[in-house]
Amino acid sequence: MTKPDPKAWSGKVHSYRPAADWKARVDDRLELHEDVAEVLDPTDYEVIRQKLWTINLAHGDTITRISGSPVLATLDFNMSILTEDADVVMNAPYIQFLNAGAPLGIRYIMENYSTAPGIDEGDIFCCNDPWIAACHQMDVLFAAPIFCEGKLFGWAANAGHQYDLGGIVPGGWPQNAEDVYSDPVVLPPFKLVEKGVMRRDLEALYLRQSRLPDMVALDLRAQLAGVRFAREQIVQLCGRFGAATVKAAMRQMVDQAQESFRKKLLSIPDGTWTETRYIDEPMPFSRTTQRTQLSVTKKGDRLTISNAGTDAQTPGTNGIPFVTWAGSITGIISVSMLYEQLFAYGGCERQIDYEATPGTLTCVDYPAAVSGGILHAVTMMNAMQAVLSRMMAASEELKGDIVAPCAEFMLPVLIGFNDRGEYFGQAILDGFACGSGARSFGDGVDTGGPNFSPLSMILNTEQLEQWYPILCLYRRSDPDSGGAGKWRGGNGLRLGITPYRAQSMDIVTNTGGQGATSQNGQGLLGGLPSPASHYVIRKGTELATLMAGKRLPQTAFDIAAEETLWLGPKSNGTPLSKGDIFEFRVGGGGGYGDPLDRDPQLVARDIELGAISPDAARNVYGFDPEDSNARSRLRESRGKWRKLETSDETRVLATGEPDLAIHEYVVATDRNGERVLACAKCGERLAGFSGSYKDGALVTEVAITTIPSAPDPARYIDDEMVLRLFACPGCLTQVSADIARAGEPVFEEMRLAAT
Amino acid sequence: MRFIVGVDIGGTFTDCVALKTSDDGSPPEVRIGKASSTPPDFQTGFINSLRTAAEMHGVSLQDMLANAQVYHGCTVGTNALVEHKTAKVGLLASRGHSDTTFIMKAGSRLKYMPAKYIAHVAAQTKPEPLVSKDLCEGIDERITFDGRVFAELNEDTARAAIRRLVDKGVEAIAISLIWSTANDAHEKRLRELVREIAPDLFVCISSEISPRVGEYERTIATIVNALIGPPMRNYLDALEVDLEQNGYTRSLQIMSCAGGLIDSDHAAEAPVLTVGSGPVAGLIGAASLAKTAEVGGGRNVITADIGGTTLDVGTIYDGKPVRRPTASYGQFEYFVPTLDVRSVGAGGGSIIRNETGILKVGPDSAGARPGPVCFNRGGTQPTVTDAAVVLGILDPAYFFGGQITLDVAGAEAALAQVGEPLGLDARETAAAAIQIINNQMADSIWLTLTQQGHDPREFILYGFGGGGGVHGAAIARELGLKTVVVPMSNLAAGWSAFGISASEALVTEQTGMGLASPFDPAAINAEWPALEERVRQKLIKQGVAPKDIVLKRFAELRYSLQINQVEVPAPDGEYDAGTVETLVQTFETEYERLYGKGSGFAAAGFGLTGLSVHGTARLSDLTVGEIAHGDENANADPVKGTRDIIWYGRGKEPEPARIYEGPRLGVGSTASGPAIIEYSDTTVVVPHDCTARIDTTGSVVIDLHDVA
Repeated sequence: MTKPDPKAWSGKVHSYRPAADWKARVDDRLELHEDVAEVLDPTDYEVIRQKLWTINLAHGDTITRISGSPVLATLDFNMSILTEDADVVMNAPYIQFLNAGAPLGIRYIMENYSTAPGIDEGDIFCCNDPWIAACHQMDVLFAAPIFCEGKLFGWAANAGHQYDLGGIVPGGWPQNAEDVYSDPVVLPPFKLVEKGVMRRDLEALYLRQSRLPDMVALDLRAQLAGVRFAREQIVQLCGRFGAATVKAAMRQMVDQAQESFRKKLLSIPDGTWTETRYIDEPMPFSRTTQRTQLSVTKKGDRLTISNAGTDAQTPGTNGIPFVTWAGSITGIISVSMLYEQLFAYGGCERQIDYEATPGTLTCVDYPAAVSGGILHAVTMMNAMQAVLSRMMAASEELKGDIVAPCAEFMLPVLIGFNDRGEYFGQAILDGFACGSGARSFGDGVDTGGPNFSPLSMILNTEQLEQWYPILCLYRRSDPDSGGAGKWRGGNGLRLGITPYRAQSMDIVTNTGGQGATSQNGQGLLGGLPSPASHYVIRKGTELATLMAGKRLPQTAFDIAAEETLWLGPKSNGTPLSKGDIFEFRVGGGGGYGDPLDRDPQLVARDIELGAISPDAARNVYGFDPEDSNARSRLRESRGKWRKLETSDETRVLATGEPDLAIHEYVVATDRNGERVLACAKCGERLAGFSGSYKDGALVTEVAITTIPSAPDPARYIDDEMVLRLFACPGCLTQVSADIARAGEPVFEEMRLAAT
Repeated sequence: MRFIVGVDIGGTFTDCVALKTSDDGSPPEVRIGKASSTPPDFQTGFINSLRTAAEMHGVSLQDMLANAQVYHGCTVGTNALVEHKTAKVGLLASRGHSDTTFIMKAGSRLKYMPAKYIAHVAAQTKPEPLVSKDLCEGIDERITFDGRVFAELNEDTARAAIRRLVDKGVEAIAISLIWSTANDAHEKRLRELVREIAPDLFVCISSEISPRVGEYERTIATIVNALIGPPMRNYLDALEVDLEQNGYTRSLQIMSCAGGLIDSDHAAEAPVLTVGSGPVAGLIGAASLAKTAEVGGGRNVITADIGGTTLDVGTIYDGKPVRRPTASYGQFEYFVPTLDVRSVGAGGGSIIRNETGILKVGPDSAGARPGPVCFNRGGTQPTVTDAAVVLGILDPAYFFGGQITLDVAGAEAALAQVGEPLGLDARETAAAAIQIINNQMADSIWLTLTQQGHDPREFILYGFGGGGGVHGAAIARELGLKTVVVPMSNLAAGWSAFGISASEALVTEQTGMGLASPFDPAAINAEWPALEERVRQKLIKQGVAPKDIVLKRFAELRYSLQINQVEVPAPDGEYDAGTVETLVQTFETEYERLYGKGSGFAAAGFGLTGLSVHGTARLSDLTVGEIAHGDENANADPVKGTRDIIWYGRGKEPEPARIYEGPRLGVGSTASGPAIIEYSDTTVVVPHDCTARIDTTGSVVIDLHDVA
């Protein structure tokens, strides 16, 4: 089941995954340029590496310039340079997972189409099939083969988000799609440009389903110009240095990324790390949540990544295909462990084995609805970020690169007509101003943006008001939205809008994971998760009266209203009228370490700057200027938490090795002839070496609303969600915090492998 | 006898270019006065450099100043920002939007950061805020995009907010309200309130400092202006007293980043215009040379100003420097009308190092202190300058005309140490490093031109600054260019000061617009007279005669559904439907030129986003092309001798090159590569298969047509 079988993993029902021998099915007449210069001058290497990076950036600039589209201007695309067999040599610092399908799509094309219609100089292929190469249908892949000396030398590819490609809801995120037949059109790879000439018939086919065909046609040209440009530049580079030298440099870049990744893995002890995350509401108002699980087993210099424990797919939009799941994983590895290699992630893929169970929510089979589920890629990236950060906590060398997960993505879409009768329908992308997660040495960045897409930005308020008939009443940093911890997560923002010069306006909500019910970014190593966000409409407010009195509201709740409408994670069109206020919160990042370990001076400063409320300071940090015992009382109250009943008594003999920190608060150490996991602060034994450290901890289960400013999940879902907190029984330090469906067994965060 | 004096203050030296003109028709004579910069009282070094230049002309400082026009490239604002020695500023922003400067448009702040910083997510942060949270006040008021008042200004709460700031000891107040570009009434009223409450405070409003749509960049511009307002005022006041005491009676002209001179009062009110004006001046000097004398034979010019720390890249297209609407200060981006000069961390001080088995050069720089190893000022890490010395490109005995003796052995040892783990000796390390830095410079120029939509092969290169002559030909070769100019030979090192003296007066006034097509001609007609009058008044105040003023109109448009805004020349006179149509056609033509055929979506209509008026006036009758150049001792043999040089890329064995004494090369002289032409402040490398010629302006023009 787990090894790609070319028949099963063909992209028809299960996703396409190239088998180990995929190249054997490439037509012999397609000659691959595999010559590599035996000697690569180090100067040439550095010069070529720099030039490939510059060419890739200019590829992106070509796209944004020619398109002029506000979607592509927010960098909702990514571009890559690949080898002849589709190893990624260069990726860009835009949305990391977005072009993850390029290696898959290209291998699919080579495996299936190298005979007919063939792969020739000047061709460009197009694809948006999520079972082959697209993260969802809206992110369309363009891939151009690069020929040198008559042989296939490499590929230039980009994937970018489109305005509209059909489907039952404008914009391509239909939250009420039961299956793919309600989604935007699905197009398996086809040769759009043949030997330099665009196939007009296929262009017409591509545009036919779109509500905005002219705009899509412009972006199509921009994306084509991008790959053409990169292709020309690489051909020139080969002309100058010799193709074999350029190829040698490309191989070395990938090898170097692999070697660097391998060395980093070797600094982490062997073991398995696991994260469980939920995704709400397969269909709007279904009031249920579904489970996903991600496990990463590290052995030596290899990773095995599994989605076992993930719920089976159901009708609705909670699923993502294999490409999106795998792209979420490599995307996070790129920003966490490959930053020195500037995202040459082809190398890391060689060290990874995927054990993906098809037919589950993170590896859906055809014909699941997938276009509206793309935001769950963020959920998966956050899961991977949590797992990878916990792994890096077990390596002295890598601990400084820990980042807690950022928020889930909140994506409200405004649809309607302005007072001139013109249609509008676009997402507000303020989710890109979420707080970033805490680090092992400092706080997350307030409104810093997602870790998986460093350059993504938000528009000015004045631009928003120019594009849409709205007035933005406030847009400000949102106190308490970051997760608490020794280092707190960065805060997100809060935005309030009211219609202005609109004929009509409907609000559609799309949300990743449990971002609107239970949590945003996970807390790490004792830190708290960041609270869930919300969408709310205050109907019939006294805005006009307030304004007449020359006052403005700070939030949607310091103004009287006739009615309050809470919008769920998924909803399809709630009208917003004059005098109504629509507010949504963009979440913060997860916290790191026990909040009671936070320097009280930092807590005081946070209060002063309005980053946290005095209530949160008191309840979570035990900080009260009036009460010097507040902190110790809060710590002592953990003594009443219950002891877990555990049955795992496997003992690992002492190894004589030095102590090894594997967590902010847990150390592997020899004790009485046994290798154990003990509290790093007080030495209390928590578990045997190969056990779960949570087994020895005290635990309590509390309401999610214990997290400052968190909403009650019961407003939207019937599954009961709880916050579980774990503390060392010796010193009462909080060592873990997670969110679970009530009744689930304790999540096993990590388990080291006994040698 | 009259003098035009350009002064440029750098981190280490203050350069003064003094041009003496006479009425007898003989060409202007140029002298360069150099003095050490004297922070924090920069005016002292300023006066010292003037005195040196006067002496070189054989006159007293007072005699020179009595007959001079003094133009100044002022780095006081830039330095105050870099060293965080700025005023304590309070911000008044629209209620609900006072966090704009903390949010920083999220990832947008990383746009101009180095690739490595962008990639390393765990190390990213935001800079310290320019105005701390407790000094940001939300004001109850709101204007809408169409200029209507949605909520009136609440003067009671505004007064209280201003008083709170004053009580906290702010030295300046920046005012930036949402949509003040559409209606500036609230900003102006707030300024009145500030003046009522604290008449002596420096105060500025966004609708005057930077009237463009986009509150984040506009607010940052206004804050930056307020931060440097008080230090700039103090400096200019002190300088004007010093100048007056030495007999200067005219108004002091200050270089702006827009590429022209403004008078010192204007600079004191809008000091944000002076930030980044140094590199801009170099571009202006180049444009002036390209335009008046067509040096190098092209109207499309890339300028590469190569200093110790950075390479500053500018573009001149069809004789006109390329402009852009934003500049950045660290991670903060702000609106300011500026020439498009982009800095890259590559220069003579760029550090050469071994990073996990790969040789890397820059972007870190050893700067002036400790500087390259060969300077013997305590530098231990080898730099590009060290590499150039080891390869034989720079004469260790003739650096800065022999003022600094370079330590070749020290440079060699440091390079050998870096190269050793890579299996490279000192010379090989040096050769590799020079090739890498040349490629980096060429790549960043290539990326700049690509982003601007130009084909590099249509350009010639002007190389100036300390390293322009050293790297120029190699960069050109990388880019496939055929001509390199080292402008006016030895002036190249102090080129910014020269550019300042070659500048005209320039005042720009702009207004943000929010019109959708078909544009109402009346709405456009309503704006021009006011803009033109403001420009005219400022220029007259600057000492320009009304008859000398040349006004040019520009309009900024975009396609309704696309975001690229393009500025195009706008017709003069009253507008009617026909004029508006002309304007749209001009835009479509220019859009297609910049972004490619068929890239605009006209069916959805157009938006007019801004209008601006540029007023220029010549301040002197100086013609750059006629300046007398040095051909002293033109009869002496220009060849000083030969030197063994390692021509990186041609193997590690040294090959001899002829060494020319630059000042002995008269107009029309040629030097065939491999050769080095040495001036006291400038070294010009002429590689194999290239020929250098001295043109009528004294510039070195290198021909690369025979280079493979």
